[in-house]
Amino acid sequence: MKKVLIVDDSLSVARQLERIISESDDFVSVGHAKNGAEAIKMNHTENPEIICMDMNMPGMDGLTALRTLSVMDKEVKVVMVTSLGGVGDKFTEALKLGAKNVISKPFEADDVLRILREL
Amino acid sequence: MAVKFFGQFLVEKNIVTRDALLRAIDLQDQKNLKLGEMAVSMGYITQPDIERAHYAQMTKDLKLGDLLIEMGLLTLNQLNDTITHQKNTHLYIGEALILVGALDNAQLVQYLEEFKVDQARYVSDGIELPGAIANSKIWEMAVDLTYKMITRVLDMHFRPGKSSVATVIDTNFMIAAMDFSGDVEARYLISVSEGLQSTIAKAILREESVENESSEVLEDTVMEFVNVVCGNVVAKASQMGVVMNINPPVTIRPPTVGLPVPAGHTALSFPIHTGDGEKMELILLIRN
Repeated sequence: MKKVLIVDDSLSVARQLERIISESDDFVSVGHAKNGAEAIKMNHTENPEIICMDMNMPGMDGLTALRTLSVMDKEVKVVMVTSLGGVGDKFTEALKLGAKNVISKPFEADDVLRILREL
Repeated sequence: MAVKFFGQFLVEKNIVTRDALLRAIDLQDQKNLKLGEMAVSMGYITQPDIERAHYAQMTKDLKLGDLLIEMGLLTLNQLNDTITHQKNTHLYIGEALILVGALDNAQLVQYLEEFKVDQARYVSDGIELPGAIANSKIWEMAVDLTYKMITRVLDMHFRPGKSSVATVIDTNFMIAAMDFSGDVEARYLISVSEGLQSTIAKAILREESVENESSEVLEDTVMEFVNVVCGNVVAKASQMGVVMNINPPVTIRPPTVGLPVPAGHTALSFPIHTGDGEKMELILLIRN
């Protein structure tokens, strides 16, 4: 099973994603970071294969963390999960910074799992 | 399920790769000249003129075209010519994807049709605002998208009440708020009674019961609903050519007398009747 780290300041989104991941046989959640800085620390301690990360968070935001992660860890695959996914500039910026895909909120469990399996 | 742009739709559906989309976007960046660059290419102004105008923009809140006219560097006819030429020569993302070999013509037609069907649920139904207000199309869209998300995300039945200009923001159990900045400035607020907070929490967490959830989690679900609506409003606004940004949502516990409308703002109130004695309201606090 692939290890997934969830990064979102929203407790409810983290709960939604943890549930989707736990109900799949392909993935296991290794924890929940509440901002970009925590995500960078937990990437080091938990060594996830995939990170599902929000863009818009207090403290270090998702794009800043993505920029750092793409330099520090070439192996981890980052998928942004955001309500801003439909904004062309934000979507493009995330891909250019190294995100493998962007999941727009609101999302369906099937879409999340399909995108994670395609990584 | 969300508001998307065509390139994102194609990548999400695994129709084109992320790398192909980035190549197509790079091609668009090369081909689609900005207003100043286009005016230079048409021989109306020079590169030093653009630099002078950009420098002047640091002290004047004017769009580049308007500023070039004010500085006597461009006539109104030349500006209109430039904008028309920009529109006529614009390379759309679908065309760019064909040029980089990611799609063929038949696929473009097919997937554009599928994209239209996917996004049809977000085509505005028309909302009546209480009186004339600047950027009315944006606020109508924000209200319309809120109603659509209440139905689709919260699975709630409701009846929109008559909108009005409010002098006080009525009290309620809690308010979740998010600020819009950019081309327009406003605060988006959703006010809910305690029962509706539970209804929203059940829908967001997809739980039958939320009796054992902490108040922090219950409040967070309302903030997340506001975040989802506002993010999609920003996406839809970008399709309308309006740049908007959002900050993370916040929670407000209003006093029993309600909240005053700050000076320099107009508060538009949109009651949302759920028919079960509960109270929900959308308020747009728009900076004048």
